[in-house]
Amino acid sequence: MSASRRLDALLAAGVGFVAGVPCSYLKTFFAGCRELPLSSFLPAVREDHAVAACAGAWLGGTRAAAVMQNSGLGYCLEVLTSLHLMYHVPLPMLVSDRGDPSDFEEHRILGQRTRQLLDLFEIPWAEARPGVEGDDASWLVAASERERRPAVLLVGKGADS
Amino acid sequence: MTRAEAVALVLPLLADDDIVVAADGAISREAYRAHDRSRTFYMLGSMGQVASIALGLAMTRMERVVALDGDGNLLMGFGGLALVGGLRPANLYHLVLDNGCYATTGGQPALSQDVDLAAVAAGAGYRWARRCLSGEHARGAMEAWLAAPGPALLDLAVDASDADPAPRVPMTPEEMAARVRAALAVDPE
Repeated sequence: MSASRRLDALLAAGVGFVAGVPCSYLKTFFAGCRELPLSSFLPAVREDHAVAACAGAWLGGTRAAAVMQNSGLGYCLEVLTSLHLMYHVPLPMLVSDRGDPSDFEEHRILGQRTRQLLDLFEIPWAEARPGVEGDDASWLVAASERERRPAVLLVGKGADS
Repeated sequence: MTRAEAVALVLPLLADDDIVVAADGAISREAYRAHDRSRTFYMLGSMGQVASIALGLAMTRMERVVALDGDGNLLMGFGGLALVGGLRPANLYHLVLDNGCYATTGGQPALSQDVDLAAVAAGAGYRWARRCLSGEHARGAMEAWLAAPGPALLDLAVDASDADPAPRVPMTPEEMAARVRAALAVDPE
């Protein structure tokens, strides 16, 4: 058991490698990651490196998940399209859902288009629901494996558990 | 020494179970032409991510992982160098085929002419990082690199000429990934 039920649920769903860049909406999740073995958690410096490392881990047979703020989707786009989507690499992703009108302005332009961006690249997504972390993780892993592509669980304020 | 000659020189020095990540563009095509192997992952896009893909493999596999990188590629994904230096996986070996330019797009000069990539790698935390400027010494430098404690980076100067380009790798991206996973006994063949 780690500090994060969402992390525990991903581990229970078979995830053995996590790479990501922190977001204040995901503090609990990242607190859990610090308890993982050194070979299972990559504290990435930017989100594109996180998803690329996940592809490497998957090539080697380890189910890998990426975690980031939705602003990081912008940095990831080239890698998600010319690596994951092109090579059919499954990638469960936990992405914070920033950018509502009460959020800081630097989060709003990309944040308010997160769902459109994912739809544009046919990346399946769902909203995280507090209390059913196991079901959320099962959906996320199954969706990415079934379609062999990234799938996104959007974690809104208060859904980090 | 041309880049293709350097690629052809390094591949026979590797162990059969080494896992190779070959950079997108000419390096992948030259690696395929010189010595195709089922444990080589051929990148087509995602420029800048050679070290990061290799890092994901190195952290989760026991075998040695060899990143065949280019200078422009490494500069684009410099954060990947910090990750390797910071996490220090002992089984990651990084070779930069450094022609000082963006050869496949017309030879535009790259900042690697002014930035010492081996010094940056050493500063980032690689346990061994050297620069080799002469083709004559390339083989000895590669042997020293592969015998050094990892993570180790060799920045090898190669000619900027791009004569005799290698053809594209005749596999779909899906086949490329499936073949590596089969070779690593992840998926059935």
